[in-house]
Amino acid sequence: MLLVALAFVVLILIGMPVAFAIGLSGLVFFFQNPDLPATIPVQITVSQTQNFTLLAIPLFIIAGNFLNVSGITEQLLKLASVLTGRLRGGLAQVSLALSVLMGGVSGSAIADAAMQSRMLGADMVKRGMSKGFAAGILSFGALLTPIVPPGLGMIIYGTIGQVSIGRMFAAGIVPALLLWLALGIAVAITARRRGYPPERTRRVGLAEAGRALRGGIWALLFPVFLLLGLRMGVFTPSEIGAFAVLYAIAIGVVVHRKLTRASFFEGLSHSLADVGAVMFLIALSAIFSYGIVYEQVPDAISGAILGFSESLERVTVLIVLFVLIAGFVIDSTVLIIMLTPIFLPLIDQLGGEPVHFGIVFIIAATIGNFTPPVGAAMYAVCSILRTSVGDYTRESVPFFIAVALVTLALVFVPSLVLFLPNALFNP
Amino acid sequence: AQQFTLRFNHVLGPREPFHQGFLDWAKAVEARTKGGLKMQVFHSAQLGVEEDIIEQMRQGANIGQNTDAARLGIYVKPIAVVNGPYFVETLDEVIKLGSAPTLQKWEKELADQHGLKVVCFDWVQGYRNFFTNVPVRKPADLNGQRIRTPPAPIWQESIRALGASPVAMAFGEMYPALQQKAIDGVELVYSNIAAGRFYEVLKYADETRHIMLVNFQVVGSKFFDSLPPDFQTALVEECQTAGRATSQKILAAEAEQKAFLKQKGMTLVEDVDIAAFRAAGEKAYQVLGLTEAKDAVLKEIGKK
Amino acid sequence: MRKTYAFLGRVEAVVAGVFLALMVVLIFAGGVARLLHHPLNWTMDVSTCLFAWACFLCADLAWRRDGLMAVDILTERLPETAQRLLTLVNYLLIAGFLAFLSGTGFWLSWISRTRTFQGIPGVSYSFVTASLAVGGLLLLITTLFKIAAFLRRADPAPAQ
Ligand code: NA
Ligand code: NA
Repeated sequence: MLLVALAFVVLILIGMPVAFAIGLSGLVFFFQNPDLPATIPVQITVSQTQNFTLLAIPLFIIAGNFLNVSGITEQLLKLASVLTGRLRGGLAQVSLALSVLMGGVSGSAIADAAMQSRMLGADMVKRGMSKGFAAGILSFGALLTPIVPPGLGMIIYGTIGQVSIGRMFAAGIVPALLLWLALGIAVAITARRRGYPPERTRRVGLAEAGRALRGGIWALLFPVFLLLGLRMGVFTPSEIGAFAVLYAIAIGVVVHRKLTRASFFEGLSHSLADVGAVMFLIALSAIFSYGIVYEQVPDAISGAILGFSESLERVTVLIVLFVLIAGFVIDSTVLIIMLTPIFLPLIDQLGGEPVHFGIVFIIAATIGNFTPPVGAAMYAVCSILRTSVGDYTRESVPFFIAVALVTLALVFVPSLVLFLPNALFNP
Repeated sequence: AQQFTLRFNHVLGPREPFHQGFLDWAKAVEARTKGGLKMQVFHSAQLGVEEDIIEQMRQGANIGQNTDAARLGIYVKPIAVVNGPYFVETLDEVIKLGSAPTLQKWEKELADQHGLKVVCFDWVQGYRNFFTNVPVRKPADLNGQRIRTPPAPIWQESIRALGASPVAMAFGEMYPALQQKAIDGVELVYSNIAAGRFYEVLKYADETRHIMLVNFQVVGSKFFDSLPPDFQTALVEECQTAGRATSQKILAAEAEQKAFLKQKGMTLVEDVDIAAFRAAGEKAYQVLGLTEAKDAVLKEIGKK
Repeated sequence: MRKTYAFLGRVEAVVAGVFLALMVVLIFAGGVARLLHHPLNWTMDVSTCLFAWACFLCADLAWRRDGLMAVDILTERLPETAQRLLTLVNYLLIAGFLAFLSGTGFWLSWISRTRTFQGIPGVSYSFVTASLAVGGLLLLITTLFKIAAFLRRADPAPAQ
């Protein structure tokens, strides 16, 4: 496996697309073990696409794209601006609020980061923010989207770990608000130092606030419908994604009357390349993880962690740190798929609560989307804003610290996570 | 001496009694071959989904899998009868199956024509019962109930014959599906219910005992044939020993499991009309054209 | 040649788009049918089969648009000749990888044709396996076009 890891790092450094790098380095393991049939890499790659849980991924990507073409995003931007326009940091604060609002329908951090960069990136730079700062907050702000229900990571974790997805969704709400607060403070501190002005100078009038609220109401209602639906047992995990797509289309056609035939095809066409980029990476990662399982690396990791400590809190902290570090180079979805079966039994054994651990673990894994050298959201934002990864990294440090601190705080105060799901769903 | 490693995969969780049984089997084989044949056990389908693993062993990988007669029935159709309703009903009958000529013929066909070597099948997971949110006493009570069933014809037909609507679904997807009412119930063995915390989402345990779940330990014929004869014997005999011990343990622990589920709030339905279910189950064999195969084997083991 | 390649790209986009749209509709319809107590098992089966094909077709569409994520921290600091050399090395390695995937994909589709899809008698799982064989071949063609364009020092093949 050492050779595989080495090959992966070398291929990444010579600029090979990550999907190919992960598949090709995974093949090294099969060359080292010639007794394994040569057809296994193909077979396990195809198997990834037969997983009923992963079916939710393309659905959420499509839903995210249809939010834009159906005018929902535009309405939400107005609402976000009304809510946070007077805060220090201007458009950066607006973008955080937009991530939270969008999160109510969208479940994918990558889709959110890409979409907001296109929508707000240029304006943020025009208002005098540095490119690195703008890229940093557009990227890290996308963490809020999958933590506000619905969230892709929660669906995957809940299905693999046999944890109630309804409880997971409800459990995300308070942590998402805390992450929002922490990122908002980080933005305000930098904004004060550099003198980034608020977006609005005057107070928002009641009429304008009312209009903004009315425009955004359908998107705001979606997570409510969703939690009610889950509470009454209407949806299965992948249906949530399909429902989000059709909901966005219906709002676009009936309420905002913005969705035309042309914009429908535009939404679908955008989705194709996005689905391809994300799913190809996840499918090929099966080749890479095969060797890891075959050599029983997970058992070694669990053993090592338990060797350090057998206290639930300390083990959880160790896992969070491990996931944050692994997230530098591994995609968040792959992390959740690979690590849930390893860590959840460990937490279970130590008497932990699966929903609590799940939220902490998913936040830590999702952060991997924003950290260099490999991060899908980071990459999307940097390429749209045409900024270097170096500048991005330098300016993102405060955001990384803010979200990492919140994650660690959630480890020690489980009630922050568990209060809502316990109130809404019977434990 | 030559070194061999067998990687053995199963879909069950690490807390299921079978996992411990496989570890015992592995330990015994390694000790008896003085480390010449090592067995590593992978729980929770870590090495891959069952169908993939079966394909891999057919191509010669040194991999094994715990599977059932229904899946083997895809290759040699009549062997699926072992998975039919009320086929065998005691551990004794299962052991007798091992020397039934018709079954040995099917095993040979699996090995020679499909590359799948059955090491042994003395592994009984217990009796399959229905677990639902309405009490079930007779076939009509299952009417309209969507019951999760493994994706294989014999399973589907058996569950349909007993009165329910089968819904094909993988093992790992049951819990969320129940939580979200995608299905109304499952049919599993008692130990699955406790291990998978299904008592959180289901109310009634209906003791239909409709299938005695016999599991098959399968490796690729290519791999098996590459082993020295004494290693082959060790693998087979230790499989039987560990399997019988595990099966006995599971059947003996049933009372304990039931008490545990009761304490977790489940209601046990014990006054089930087994005769009515047995009669209804016959239809599954008829629909699949397996009645003759079933009668032949049952005659050989002296049942009926 | 290039026209055919561009046309192929349009066909892929249409097929993948139709498959994704069908997936949305089927999954939703499956949910509605279940609510009405008429579960349709086949909607999920068809969806997962379409999913496999959509994935690998979309992968080629992303590769055509250079939309697969790569890391350029190191390469962007190198002199141009070194960058060009690494690009070529990348393309060649990728072509080899895709040839392997596609080749073993077709081989596996052939030898495991008796394996059934979702245990449905008469429906071969090879329909699913072939998605990667075909998708890998399309990705390989795209890579070869990228190599050709690279050698001509021209822009990469036109995006579709
Ligand atoms: Na969300
Ligand atoms: Na990262």
